[in-house]
Amino acid sequence: MKLTTPHLLGIKDLTKEDIELLLSTAKQFKEVLQRPVKKVPSLRDITIVNLFFENSTRTRMSFELAEKRLGADSLNFTSSASSVAKGETLLDTVNNILSMKVDMVVLRHSASGAPHFLAKHIPAAIVNAGDGINEHPTQALLDAFSMLEKKETLEGLKVAIIGDIMHSRVALSNIYLLNKMGAEVMVAGPPTLIPKHIVEAFGIRVTYNVNEALQWCDVANVLRIQLERQNQPLFSSLREYNLAYGIKRSMLEKLNKEIVIMHPGPINRGVELDSDVADGPHSIILNQVENGVAVRMAALYLLSPRTP
Amino acid sequence: MPVKITGIVFYILCRVDWIRTSDPLHPMQVRYRAAPPPVIMHYLHKRVANVKAFTKIQYIFAKFYFSLMNILLKQVTIAEQGSPYNGSVKDILITNGIIQQIEDVIDEPNATVYHLEGNCVSPGWVDIFTHCCDPGLEFKETLSTAVDAAAAGGYTHIFTLPNTNPVVHNKSQVEYITQKANNLPIHVQPLGAVTKNCEGKELAEMYDMYASGAAAFSDGINALQSAGLMVKALQYVKAFNGVIIQLPVDKSIGQFGLMHEGIVSTRLGLPGIPAMAEEIIVARDIKLARYADSKLHFSGVSSPKSLEYIKRAKEAGLQVTCSVTPYHLFFCDEDLAGYDTNLKVSPPLRSRTDMLALREFVLDGTVDCIASHHLPHEWDSKICEFEYAKYGITGLQTAYSALQTVLPGITPERIANLFSVNARTIFSLPNATISQGQKAELTIFNQQAGFVLNKEDIKSKSINTPFIGADLSGKVIGIYAKGNLVLNK
Repeated sequence: MKLTTPHLLGIKDLTKEDIELLLSTAKQFKEVLQRPVKKVPSLRDITIVNLFFENSTRTRMSFELAEKRLGADSLNFTSSASSVAKGETLLDTVNNILSMKVDMVVLRHSASGAPHFLAKHIPAAIVNAGDGINEHPTQALLDAFSMLEKKETLEGLKVAIIGDIMHSRVALSNIYLLNKMGAEVMVAGPPTLIPKHIVEAFGIRVTYNVNEALQWCDVANVLRIQLERQNQPLFSSLREYNLAYGIKRSMLEKLNKEIVIMHPGPINRGVELDSDVADGPHSIILNQVENGVAVRMAALYLLSPRTP
Repeated sequence: MPVKITGIVFYILCRVDWIRTSDPLHPMQVRYRAAPPPVIMHYLHKRVANVKAFTKIQYIFAKFYFSLMNILLKQVTIAEQGSPYNGSVKDILITNGIIQQIEDVIDEPNATVYHLEGNCVSPGWVDIFTHCCDPGLEFKETLSTAVDAAAAGGYTHIFTLPNTNPVVHNKSQVEYITQKANNLPIHVQPLGAVTKNCEGKELAEMYDMYASGAAAFSDGINALQSAGLMVKALQYVKAFNGVIIQLPVDKSIGQFGLMHEGIVSTRLGLPGIPAMAEEIIVARDIKLARYADSKLHFSGVSSPKSLEYIKRAKEAGLQVTCSVTPYHLFFCDEDLAGYDTNLKVSPPLRSRTDMLALREFVLDGTVDCIASHHLPHEWDSKICEFEYAKYGITGLQTAYSALQTVLPGITPERIANLFSVNARTIFSLPNATISQGQKAELTIFNQQAGFVLNKEDIKSKSINTPFIGADLSGKVIGIYAKGNLVLNK
């Protein structure tokens, strides 16, 4: 079985069947990861380069581990500066690496559409590990995977995405995925951090009141305040943000139901999420990290030139 | 050697630029060199002993030469609103750059005849917003290559942007362009900068630039942000009937935006620039133009709301005019789905509704001119991530065909107004009326023919255009300017 696209550039390009295939493959790999010997030789002799033009801990390690567990050879390239600032263009960098006979590229980049640009110019399969404020497809897949461990189905599930929606690629990928899988989505946060046209664009709900979002939802996916991506003041202070939009334990206790708390990490403790919520019984944040490896194994496996 | 062949050889010898001058001529100029160099005449006098043969050669040459001076355009449809010839099919005889005769049928044996049935002829087209990148950015474009592209696109007169290096903000920069343009086959006039270095801080020497030949004043691709400075500039140019051209963008709104803010930008995850960023400047500058009672022209208007403001200002009798680009009429934000860097422009491509509304404003006469917004960029500045790609596309060669494609029902006289007559009125250029005794400055175009721009046919030095390979309708056949006829292949 293969995906309908040669690259994983975003959830936007996937069909519902693609998403189901990725999730079911990830389930098999998660089972592999529970074994004493966690390695499979599925991608032996395949070389994968992890190109990270932006800081990352979780995603990079998760991809690297996924590659190792699949038996692939991996190569790491990290650069906090953008390719342009370094003087070499992205295309040159990648072509240089590809001439060393690399089969697949995992790319994280600060510019939206960077993997799409690369896909037009290079022959290798590309996995988008986050581009600008556009998409982060493997994160949305692992979020869905983690939700499915807690809930039976995504169909009809009420998911609230809370925080900096405007600068979050996680939000966009999640919205695409949840829409395709039939879940209901509500976004919540300060109006300056919610794109003006989000309702027309995706047919989702918007609220500026976090309590309302929590009351409505089954799952709350709390996003990180992307301070590094905000080049202008969009709220006055972190303290005020926490007062108005931070998730606190008391808020969860007031609800007459159990909800699941998720966060893509890294957490700004005391800003969008208080510590007692992040470490509390509602949180499945560490499960998300664990599932990340399985989901990325599935993505790499399904996109590799080896897979029939 | 038969006399006729000798004559032709002689003619070719005369055409070749044997004498190397310090100021090399433009290749087109060589083809149309008016007289044989004296050196050749002297050489022939000495060598051709047989006087009779020499006379014969001279006779043949003279016949050839006069036939070149006389150009007869057969059966062209004249497109010029208000002209007695408008819409009629005529023969036009041009002698030495002057329209000698316009008749139903002209027979002139000593003329080079061009059969142009089915083609329209309009007063020579004007582009008011072309970046020639010369001096300083010659790796993108030079005056000479821009002029080639303009001639191929049907233009006989272009205004160049001041955003060069150094900026066209004083007399010497204006004169550099006007003098260099003397040797080029079409008219080129620079736009002088409104502020020094186009920085929007201090007024530039606009009077001096005007006296040296600047067509109008603009900070080009740098929109003038300060309202205080804008009103001063508008007042200042009144003294010499000058016009300020503004590219309306408020840079503090959607500062980090890369495309039009809307549903598409939200779905593509690209930061947006709301249409409001343009509308605010249009509304503000109209107020300033009213206060200063001066002439203001908005170029590259992309939002229908802005055009409504402009329409109302015109109705109120203000001297406010505007132009739109062909690409804002042709593309919309939905075309950016593949992050095509060739569609990264400023102001950004608006929504489909806006694009369709813009077309209506072109037809109803609110839009005065079509401005190419020809912004050449080197190849690698577009082969990169969308965010890092430079703004702008080249557009001289495709401006007319793009317009004709999106507005198939447009009349020839409306085309003449949009490309020529209105700009000539707004910027007080010499009129190019098609009438007897008038200096000939013409553009010949065909509304029915098709046009496909191949990469090899691009005359500009840069190829950053989304129109390569696109099936366009309407074709520019050629131009007549500065005494020369230049026909496209």
